[in-house]
Amino acid sequence: MSNLLEPTLYVIKGIAILDNDGNRIVAKYYDPHCFSSVKEEKKFEKNLFQKTHRANAEITMLDKLTCVYRSNVDLFFYVMGSSHENELILLCVLTCLYDAVSLILRKNVEKKTLLENLDIILLAIDEICDGGVPLETDPQVIAQRVALRMEETPFNDQTVSQVLQTAREQLKWSLLK
Amino acid sequence: MIGSFKQLKKDEEEGGGNPYYSADKTSVLQEARVFNETPVNVKRSTHVLTKILYLLNQGEILATKEATDAFFAMTKLFQSNDLVLRRLVYLGIKELCNIAEDTIIVTSSLTKDMTGREDQYRAPAIRALCRITDATMMQSIERYMKQAIVDRTTGVSSAALVSCRHIMTQSPEVVKRWVSEVQEALSSDNVMVQFHALGVLHQIRKSDKLAVTKMITKLTTSGLRSPYAICFLIRVVAQLIEEDEASSDSRLFDFLESMLRHKAEMVIYEAANAIVTLKKSSSRELVSGISVLQLFLSSPKPTLRFAAVRTLGKVAMYQPSAVAACNLDLETLLQDVNRSIATLAITTLLKTGTEGSVDRLMKSISNFLNDISDEFKVFVVE
Repeated sequence: MSNLLEPTLYVIKGIAILDNDGNRIVAKYYDPHCFSSVKEEKKFEKNLFQKTHRANAEITMLDKLTCVYRSNVDLFFYVMGSSHENELILLCVLTCLYDAVSLILRKNVEKKTLLENLDIILLAIDEICDGGVPLETDPQVIAQRVALRMEETPFNDQTVSQVLQTAREQLKWSLLK
Repeated sequence: MIGSFKQLKKDEEEGGGNPYYSADKTSVLQEARVFNETPVNVKRSTHVLTKILYLLNQGEILATKEATDAFFAMTKLFQSNDLVLRRLVYLGIKELCNIAEDTIIVTSSLTKDMTGREDQYRAPAIRALCRITDATMMQSIERYMKQAIVDRTTGVSSAALVSCRHIMTQSPEVVKRWVSEVQEALSSDNVMVQFHALGVLHQIRKSDKLAVTKMITKLTTSGLRSPYAICFLIRVVAQLIEEDEASSDSRLFDFLESMLRHKAEMVIYEAANAIVTLKKSSSRELVSGISVLQLFLSSPKPTLRFAAVRTLGKVAMYQPSAVAACNLDLETLLQDVNRSIATLAITTLLKTGTEGSVDRLMKSISNFLNDISDEFKVFVVE
């Protein structure tokens, strides 16, 4: 009918974390019409990786999807939306994904630590997006909700506010880096 | 800890740094037997469940029987109160519920968690429960859903609202009865709750134009806090302006224009995009929309430049003269490190340029074309 954007909660088409060979570590696609099979998805991921792994340019278009991305050491983070979507909303989701992961991995954003904490990372992605709807975009809230493992958390008997304080400091550090 | 670390090290040598590399379907499903141990072996169960989720994520396809077996084994893990393990079980339920049979077996466990005292369980339990529940069963949990929508814990409220929205795709009727709760949630201070509530409310009212108009009148004057909700509202307003046959309501345009001065960039962009796309915008409104986008063209943020140039390219199709004011900024973008932005700038310039400048452009494109992908070439030729 027109070029106007449909008012919708379903903003996100996909979220992916790839390694530095372009292989999938985690990927979720929320629109069944987007890709017909896992094979298609992986083909898309390979192309996306080819296109983005050297250019650190934050945003690109591929197969009628707008993809915002970010990388660190050997990990590549992607958030996909339709080519008509408000790119700045997608970027907020990506920033949340990246910051939540670095909070969870305590700044060691690399493949090895990510895989060691894969359970928590899967939970975090589930907290960021529910079936294509952005559920939460505050990385500290995400980190809090996925409840880091007790045996590993140094702040066992701290109050919530103290935990938040620590999280905030960590975030500050990651920004200063 | 040390034991599992050694295990990781060993796997790593075989699988190029990936401890899950060696996981194969048959052996992992065998390992799932550990779920049946009493008391629950938290550490091993967590590891095996993560492996199952990893395999599903890699695209491994389970047969109905395999999925059902894994699902039933997983239900045993409800005996453990380990936070992470329980959350992984919710995730497993959601991943397997479309393949496995008789998944309603977990309804009572999930209802218990959703109404229980542990806040960390409630929100994800609601989301998992709504995934396995159909419209007829929804009535049995209706009371809890209504409470959850207006819950003071924002995560719970968001989870309930988003689940409502999913349910409405299949069966819109049930959720319509909860409209007063959804409305209450709309006044939440939390940015996400407000966004989700507006999404559900709009879905309920969508087919009733009078109700949509009323909703807009209220929201455009009272003001929403959440930038996500405002972006949503802008789209609803734009739709209403477009569909209105009669002379357009100037108050609606005033609202769009006022949003160009919002402090959040995502709102400013959304408003500018709506204004320049609407055919009913006056030339004055069009100019203010385009000048905002023009400012974005020189932003240090690639995403902002990308969004602006993409939208201007769209407008250039039917209003080339209005976009021509940005030609200088667009030409600067030809050197942009982000090739997507540079390409979009070229396509836009080709539409707005005069004969002389197009000639010049063609020359600069010729050495540029080798650089860009085929997909973009098609885009340029169009």
